[in-house]
Amino acid sequence: MLLLDYQNVLIQSLLTERFSGAPPASIDQVVSDFDGVTFHLSTPESKTKILVSIHVKCFKELVQYGAQAVLEREYGPYIVSPEPGYDFSVQIDLENLPAEQEAREELIMKLALLKRNAMAAPFERAFDEFAELAEEASRYTSESAPQGVKEGGEVMSIHYREEEAIYIKASHDRVTVIFSTVFREETDRIFGKVFLQEFVDARRRVVTLQNAPQVLFRNTPPLELEGVPGVENASEGEMSYVTFVLFPRHLTPQRRYDSISHIQTFRDYFHYHIKASKAYIHTRMRKRTADFLQVLNRARPENEERERKTASGRTFRVQS
Amino acid sequence: MASQTPAVVMDNGTGYSKLGFAGNDSPSFVFPTAIATKAAGSAGSSAGSRPAVPNKPSFLPGGAGASSHLSGKRGTEDLDFFIGDEALAAGSGPGYGVNYPIRHGQIENWDYMERFWSNSIFKYLRVEPEDHYFLLTEPPLNPPENRENTAEIMFESFNCAGLYIAVQAVLALAASWTSSKVTDRSLTGTVIDSGDGVTHVIPVAEGYVIGSSIKSIPIAGRDITYFVQSLLRDRGEPDSSLKTAEKVKEEYCYVSPDIVKEFARYDREPDRLLKHTVTSPNGRSVQIDIGYERFLAPEIFFNPEIYSSDFLTPLPNVVDGVIQSSPIDVRRGLYKNIVLSGGSTLYKDFGRRLQRDIRHLVDARIRASEARSGGARSGGLDVAVVTHKRQRHGPWFGGSLLGQTPEFRSYCHTKAEYDEIGPSIVRRFALLGGPGSS
Repeated sequence: MLLLDYQNVLIQSLLTERFSGAPPASIDQVVSDFDGVTFHLSTPESKTKILVSIHVKCFKELVQYGAQAVLEREYGPYIVSPEPGYDFSVQIDLENLPAEQEAREELIMKLALLKRNAMAAPFERAFDEFAELAEEASRYTSESAPQGVKEGGEVMSIHYREEEAIYIKASHDRVTVIFSTVFREETDRIFGKVFLQEFVDARRRVVTLQNAPQVLFRNTPPLELEGVPGVENASEGEMSYVTFVLFPRHLTPQRRYDSISHIQTFRDYFHYHIKASKAYIHTRMRKRTADFLQVLNRARPENEERERKTASGRTFRVQS
Repeated sequence: MASQTPAVVMDNGTGYSKLGFAGNDSPSFVFPTAIATKAAGSAGSSAGSRPAVPNKPSFLPGGAGASSHLSGKRGTEDLDFFIGDEALAAGSGPGYGVNYPIRHGQIENWDYMERFWSNSIFKYLRVEPEDHYFLLTEPPLNPPENRENTAEIMFESFNCAGLYIAVQAVLALAASWTSSKVTDRSLTGTVIDSGDGVTHVIPVAEGYVIGSSIKSIPIAGRDITYFVQSLLRDRGEPDSSLKTAEKVKEEYCYVSPDIVKEFARYDREPDRLLKHTVTSPNGRSVQIDIGYERFLAPEIFFNPEIYSSDFLTPLPNVVDGVIQSSPIDVRRGLYKNIVLSGGSTLYKDFGRRLQRDIRHLVDARIRASEARSGGARSGGLDVAVVTHKRQRHGPWFGGSLLGQTPEFRSYCHTKAEYDEIGPSIVRRFALLGGPGSS
């Protein structure tokens, strides 16, 4: 498994089972997802009505960047008022499902992507903003462009975890996405550094990857984040900043959906691979230990010096 | 409630792994503890077949040794694997070999297990291990070295926030608290854990397993399936595949109070004989008769001689023997709280029959000793077998129950403590759910 899935596997499998016409049963499951997202699947009223609720840490910020509109677009008729303690709820009536199999699968997938869609709003807004700015900028030459167009839009920050955030900034020729990450472990930081260096190297080495977004990694806040609240105080060296530069070719309407999905899972992907690398190194260490043990076993002297006795039981010692 | 992330409960058994979050009433995922890797078992077997010995103790790439060629690669072969049901699917095709990292309840291959966990956490549960506490299970009599290895992986590879390792039998006892029959939440009792491969009888006194008294019985779910299959074959049914036998076992079997009477009843009431329709994948369907195997199959627990000639002690006698070999001051508690766990204890009236048979044994012994003592009266002994709704995933459910208690986190060892003390920290855990906690 190289890439992580975007959808929540549990929601997917649970709903697939429910939708397949199995006898209705009551569900009450709290499900966790990456970045402290919590889902609650329940059947509060009757066994045929499934309520799916989501809790996202940064939902307020997401709403500010238009999450409500995105979610309404995706889940329109299913939305119900949010369950207490959660941010957003949808309800599906099993007796009122789309008839065709494909439509059902599509609905399942849509619900499993609840987290992705909730988080997608700021990205969509940035991409739209980029399109506007690009439109505007095409009317000027680079010298005569007014300040606003040159600078690009404001920086949108999403504090999706306690100490970490995503910053998105649209300009007329690119969209910059910056992740700030904290490593608890010294080892992890080193792994992370090597891993990110690999991004840079791979891009240089393999020709087909030239089209990939540029990835930059640094320990100090990048210039784009100047003046953004909450950035300065964290610059004690624990923070690292990973910058993705998305070029117009990543922002075309066709690519848009995948670009958003990919970049959203970046942090989890990054940490997953750090852990996978550690597991790989552990595998090799175990193998090496087994090899060394074999060497040690072989190094045992073949005929050890034993005390020799005569028939009467006396021993002789070589005088030194 | 959302301020605290739910604890992750993982019960990795020999056959199936149960994964989920504490507080839920059923595991989120149940799939085989299997991992399919490329080039069947090359990592394991290359160490066995002539190992390349490095002529110098060098960690530099290019040194001798089978592993050296891996270092030069920038590939991601180590991520090319599947777990669970996907593993079985991949294993049936070419190119992949299926491995079972757990044998007899204990982890045998740590490489595979580490990757199995990695995939369970990131692909299925989708959690950041840094944000969650973990509750893992271990079989009784698991050596402490295995615990240390587990802790090493959980803390060093995954940096999980906190870890608690509980004994499966103790969790099964905790799961029985949901039964209405259980009034006091004690952790003393006898656990009968019958899965697919083997049945264990485990006495637990106040949360601690009495290791010297554990007995295992080589009769479990798989044997019942084989027995049903042989009965179907003897009768010459049109379909007697293992899958059909399993279906018959799961859907129709129950435990009868007395087999002789049950035979007579079947002869009197022919409507007890059922029909079962098997639909094969190609669309054809055949009907098979189901007769005496309905009550004969689970009967092999109580009369093993009808199935095997190697093992002849009935389950009630084994349970009685286990309790008799335990320290005398806990026996009363062990008789009073006999808890069932595992899929092969789900037959209807299994608990009732077991309770009756054990009570017969106990009463006979009391009467004999009363007669010997000449006039002394015994106060009697209470025998109770507890059946409850969560028997199938008993250990997992017990873990879920204990994992959601507010004090769970204080019982865990945290990452900071591990860094301070090292792997040996997990040799001891405070008893979760024992006296003193709510």
